[in-house]
Amino acid sequence: MAGKGERKQKIVVEELLVTSAVLIAGIALQFFIGGYDKRILAFPVNIILFSSIVLVISLSGRAVLARLSSGSLSVILISIFVIASLWMGLVPGNMVKISWPFALLYLLTIINLTAVIIKRLKTVKIRDISFLLNHIGLLVLLLAAGFGSADKSRYFMRVNEGEVEWRGERSGGEKGVVKELPIAVSLSDFILEEYPPKLALVDRATGEALPLDKPHFMESKVGTKWSYQEIKISVDSFEIHPRLAPKAYVSVTGANENPKIEGWVTCGSYFQHHKTLNINDKLCIAMTFPEPQRFISKVEVYTEDGDNREGEILVNHPMTMGPWKIYQHSYDSHMGRDSQWSVFELVYDPWLYIAYFGIICMMAGALTLFWKGGKL
Amino acid sequence: MSWDLFIYFGGTSLAIWILGTILLYTLKSRVPAVIAIVAGLLLFSSFIAGLWIFQGHPPLRTMGETRLWYSLFITAVGLATYLHWGYKWIVAYSVLVSGVFIFINILKPEIHFTNLMPALQSVWFVPHVTVYILSYAMLGAATIASVISLFEVKKRGYRLLPLIDNLVSIGLGFLLMGMLMGAIWAKEAWGDYWTWDPKEVWAFITAAAYILYIHARAFKYNNKYALWLLPLCFLFLMITWIGVNYLPAAQGSIHVY
Repeated sequence: MAGKGERKQKIVVEELLVTSAVLIAGIALQFFIGGYDKRILAFPVNIILFSSIVLVISLSGRAVLARLSSGSLSVILISIFVIASLWMGLVPGNMVKISWPFALLYLLTIINLTAVIIKRLKTVKIRDISFLLNHIGLLVLLLAAGFGSADKSRYFMRVNEGEVEWRGERSGGEKGVVKELPIAVSLSDFILEEYPPKLALVDRATGEALPLDKPHFMESKVGTKWSYQEIKISVDSFEIHPRLAPKAYVSVTGANENPKIEGWVTCGSYFQHHKTLNINDKLCIAMTFPEPQRFISKVEVYTEDGDNREGEILVNHPMTMGPWKIYQHSYDSHMGRDSQWSVFELVYDPWLYIAYFGIICMMAGALTLFWKGGKL
Repeated sequence: MSWDLFIYFGGTSLAIWILGTILLYTLKSRVPAVIAIVAGLLLFSSFIAGLWIFQGHPPLRTMGETRLWYSLFITAVGLATYLHWGYKWIVAYSVLVSGVFIFINILKPEIHFTNLMPALQSVWFVPHVTVYILSYAMLGAATIASVISLFEVKKRGYRLLPLIDNLVSIGLGFLLMGMLMGAIWAKEAWGDYWTWDPKEVWAFITAAAYILYIHARAFKYNNKYALWLLPLCFLFLMITWIGVNYLPAAQGSIHVY
């Protein structure tokens, strides 16, 4: 028994040495050739690399498989992942995620995980389902997110209303350099829905809304009433028209010697000055800028293969066209709801569905963790 | 159905849930307690359904509306956890957290209208946050049990270890669920499912540390070392939850709101 324990210890030491050697090699690479560039793994390198890992592990003998799939190696790798990510989380401006040691740690983890799964599959039983869901899910996700990220690309595309655009600027690339993409977007309409602006009682000298400790914002809608000390404020009408700033007709009593003060208040826009309603020497009523509620681009998207699709793109609701996803990114914020253009972010990720497969397996695995508890 | 009626629906549901929790602790049979909690869930759901029909869109656009879903889901999942595992305290905890959300909605009516920014208006928002709240409860309980276990080990040995393993597994299940749903949501909202955003980095550290515990236990590492991991894991969890925004490396995180 003592002999077995000693052998186990020896294996752990060896594994620690091998892992350290790999990480030191990573540091050396980092030193001599600079940061790790994920593009070296671009298709077909990523597929070939993973296929060879699977092939070598499947063909290797029991001793090698036992070594590659060892539990203590897993524990060592997870520990180093914790340390590396602590570094990532604590040191400002670090480059851990694009460094060679991290890339090699990732590679070792993929090898270990692949070996663990292959070993388990050789003697698979029904009760291994939890193990397999968690480990295969993680492996697939690591492959898609790591090896697959070399094939990902992101572009920004600005489209004017009524026009078609097929050129995009690579995200993180040089400004102003555009590339023709295999996908085109035509924008028929950009719609910005806003929450109604708010009205506030403002100190004319400081511009601060009252009461100072907890400013009160009134809704700009007919019938809103609010009183502050002697002052009674009511909103008599509220109008919002295309190309014009929203405006509210407000009447106030109790602010000065006049029985009633009334007038229009507007927050202004790209075309118009704002207007406040002075109610005495110290105070006025002002309107805040409306906050965007949602913005929608009505588009038609075409691909080189002749596919096309009409639809709406909004935040949290991208449009999917094969391996492309098109996101609402921004609009002309000076013009607000009269913006004449919309900026889209186009993300190309041929590995996305593989990543989703990994995520779904892991979710099912998480459910088994919940269900089975500590009896794994 | 409108917010004016919330005090009746929310207040009554909470009262029924509290009654259910008391019944759970006092009666031998768990049936009356479960019936009470399910009845509260139905009443609460009917308010959400009414608000949904009245507004013509799912109530997910304001802070107050998301709090409704938290109250509902936390109690529902808390009950499901109890039914499977028999931990009564998780019901009490769920009702307490639900109650806090209900009270905020009753006492601060202005938040019903505090608008949610477009990126947060997603069906993933509520389940993402709910499972995290539940995982914090499970993992918090595991941490307390680990500290007790470390103190009593000379007298009583590792009698709490099976309980701790259970709590960590359930908590990690919830934690991973939260992370994975967050990943799907991030892909819809930001174009990428993982970007090593500071909050993601810390969520990763936390999950990896708990996974380390599970492996340390599976490979029968020294119990004491394994147990010492848990307070450390919980520290990471706390940093992920509240500490991230104060870290120098986390300036510019997309998770600030």
